[in-house]
Amino acid sequence: MNLNVRFENLKRKIAVGPLYGVIILLLIAIFFWVFFKTLAPENFGSLSNLSNYFLSSIIYSVGGCGLYFIVVMGLFDFSIGANIILSSVVGVIVSTYFGYPGLLIGSIACGTMIGLLNGFLYIKLKIPSIIVTVGLMLIFESAAYFIAGGKKQTLAVGLRAFGKAPASIILAVSAFLLTIFILRNTKIGTYCYAIGSNEYVAKNMGINVDKYKLIGFILTHFFVGIMAVLTVSYGWSMTAITGMESMGRNFTPLMGTFLGLAFRKYGIPITAIMIGEFIISIIFNGFIAIGAPTTIQNVVTGAALLIIVTLTARPEEGAVVK
Amino acid sequence: MADSSDNIILVTENICKSFGITKAVRNVSLSIQKGEIHGLIGENGSGKSTFSSMLCGIYPIDSGRFILDGTEYKARNQIEANRKGVSIIVQETGTVSGLTVAENIFLGNEDRFVKFGVKNTGLMNREAQNLLNDFGFDRILANVVIDHYNFEDRKLIEMVKSTYFKPKIVVVDETTTALSQEGRLELYELMDRIRADGRTVIFISHDLTEVIAHTDRISVLRDGELIDTVITKTVTEDDLRRLMVGRELGNRYYRTDYDGNQSDDVVLKIRNLGVPDHFSNINFDLHKGEILGFGGLSECGMHELGKALFAGSYHRTGTVTLASGKEINSIPDAIANSIAYASKDRDNESLVSNTSIRDNICLPSRQDLKKNGLLFKRNLDDFAWKNAERISVKMTGIDQSISELSGGNKQKVVLARWLGKGSNIMVLDSPTRGIDVKVKADIYNLMNELRNEGKSIIMISEEILELIGMCDRIIVMKNGSLNGEFFRNQDLNEEDLIAKMV
Repeated sequence: MNLNVRFENLKRKIAVGPLYGVIILLLIAIFFWVFFKTLAPENFGSLSNLSNYFLSSIIYSVGGCGLYFIVVMGLFDFSIGANIILSSVVGVIVSTYFGYPGLLIGSIACGTMIGLLNGFLYIKLKIPSIIVTVGLMLIFESAAYFIAGGKKQTLAVGLRAFGKAPASIILAVSAFLLTIFILRNTKIGTYCYAIGSNEYVAKNMGINVDKYKLIGFILTHFFVGIMAVLTVSYGWSMTAITGMESMGRNFTPLMGTFLGLAFRKYGIPITAIMIGEFIISIIFNGFIAIGAPTTIQNVVTGAALLIIVTLTARPEEGAVVK
Repeated sequence: MADSSDNIILVTENICKSFGITKAVRNVSLSIQKGEIHGLIGENGSGKSTFSSMLCGIYPIDSGRFILDGTEYKARNQIEANRKGVSIIVQETGTVSGLTVAENIFLGNEDRFVKFGVKNTGLMNREAQNLLNDFGFDRILANVVIDHYNFEDRKLIEMVKSTYFKPKIVVVDETTTALSQEGRLELYELMDRIRADGRTVIFISHDLTEVIAHTDRISVLRDGELIDTVITKTVTEDDLRRLMVGRELGNRYYRTDYDGNQSDDVVLKIRNLGVPDHFSNINFDLHKGEILGFGGLSECGMHELGKALFAGSYHRTGTVTLASGKEINSIPDAIANSIAYASKDRDNESLVSNTSIRDNICLPSRQDLKKNGLLFKRNLDDFAWKNAERISVKMTGIDQSISELSGGNKQKVVLARWLGKGSNIMVLDSPTRGIDVKVKADIYNLMNELRNEGKSIIMISEEILELIGMCDRIIVMKNGSLNGEFFRNQDLNEEDLIAKMV
């Protein structure tokens, strides 16, 4: 192989490979850092600031990883927020009896069970996942309220290790590695992609579509259970809220998932979710640092969601969007 | 005797398949040998693809059986078919986007790389790369997401996917139409290699030259029936065409007039019309009181042309102009200027299926039915009744839901809608597709009536006989261009048209 051919091959490998995607994402992160650093040099973007932004972003990244399994199949779940609250409440209560194991197992088991229920109902009722999960969201919110007895559930002072580094990072990174492992090294990942891309072809290849959708829901909520541990440890307490207020917790993880989808063709969906959530965290904190009113955060969340989805979703021309 | 049965890989016994009232495949019995390339040809809708889909586990069979290598063979899906030794390279893309090349090649067969639930992705990628290299496609990288490759490369990947496990039979279903010359050569080479191995290829194609050049024997299907199996060396393209057509002409429900008086008034002028990936540079005029037919293979661009005339296509270029000089550039333009369009895809593009016959008939005419700016139910009812009865829609009442109607009656509702609108130019795409003889006759009568009233009709159809029977003029399309024009004539026969189509 002569040098020229080698060079061409290398160029092609870079163009389709992970490096390209990571570079784009890092450039976006640097752009926003420079942008806000120029506007608010005093109270934004020091190294310790950045590490705080990162610590809060990994919580959302874990949820984003979970959501990825069903969003990639073209499904959706609105009960993520409600499950975070419910699983946190359950985790805190169990932790009063069993300490750390209680917190971890209580939250994650509760989350996973919810996933099983969501998936089961979606498959059996044969109605769109959005409707199923909106209905269930209301039920889960109320369940959390009853279980908490209407009171704020506070995590004992000695059980807050997962709220800070290094424990939070260890837990989150384990979750990322697990997601990457499932996507790359099990059939589940391949089949989720195949179902999302063309369910008809997937069926023809002998894939049991319902089974893998169920598995997708279970995995999603397993990771939501982990996110619940991180959330309640970071904030020390959880209050059950009702009336769809848990919806607010859905969107930040979801934005990471959409970025993951966008960068999937470079083979780095999970890295994209992590860096993506970090970028979102930089933007939020940037707005706070320049003294913009807090409501502007909602505007940013909304606008970012629309922009990201518009960029990722390239519907076929004339496709009916509902 | 023992000798010849040893040599046979597949026997099909009385295979049948129906879709609703359409009998797609009827009693097909044939035997295919080891180490041959067996051509399968026939017109649109002759049952070739349905037959091969049953063989490959994509459709279940209604009755009859396949005997593969001496034992009865059934497959519920493609992977099962693959395991039993039958694979297919399909017409459309058979690869799944979002997966890597390696994941595509082994989709459904990952188990050989899975140990204790863990998939050895590295090994899978290496094996896929080795296969790609063996096939001579080294430039395709196994670990890259398939979206980075174009359609042509994806077809090559599909070839690897369908043949690496050395199936006994490989079905190549109209794959060549999608390929460039280079890709075709790769495919022919692959077919020859399979034959040299003592295995079998079933080769489906519309390109008769290619079928004669690359097969050993050819089976001809017509209307779902096996007509004959011939030895390739002994036939010419003309012989094959005759076998493909071979029906008797003269059906009594078509038009009987051949007087040929034709108005010279142009009602619609089409200039340089094009839609990317479908057709380009189309020019023709539609006359008053004319039934103008468009014929061709299903992918020749004629269906999209119908949509483009109604301004329903994306990225359309060129002009569609009325006699008044008005250009038609949007669907509301088209409807307001008396153009009607009945899509080939009735259920998805013409009818609102979960509502009533009345609402469907009144849909484009609601503006006209307003009295002082308001709609009254009685006016709508009268209008719907009048038009539904004119074409005798079989229904319990105008409140009946569209979803309860048969295909033929649905088509009648579509026509009733445009009758009510009083459109002068009707673009009817496959108006009799999947419709029984009785309703067909009603539709032909109506077309004739409309023609006599001075309305102009464009009939797009894959059925050559009805084009010959109904049209004043027929334009044949091939690969997105006009390829021939025929005027109404008693001596016109199917072979003339087919010669321009393939």
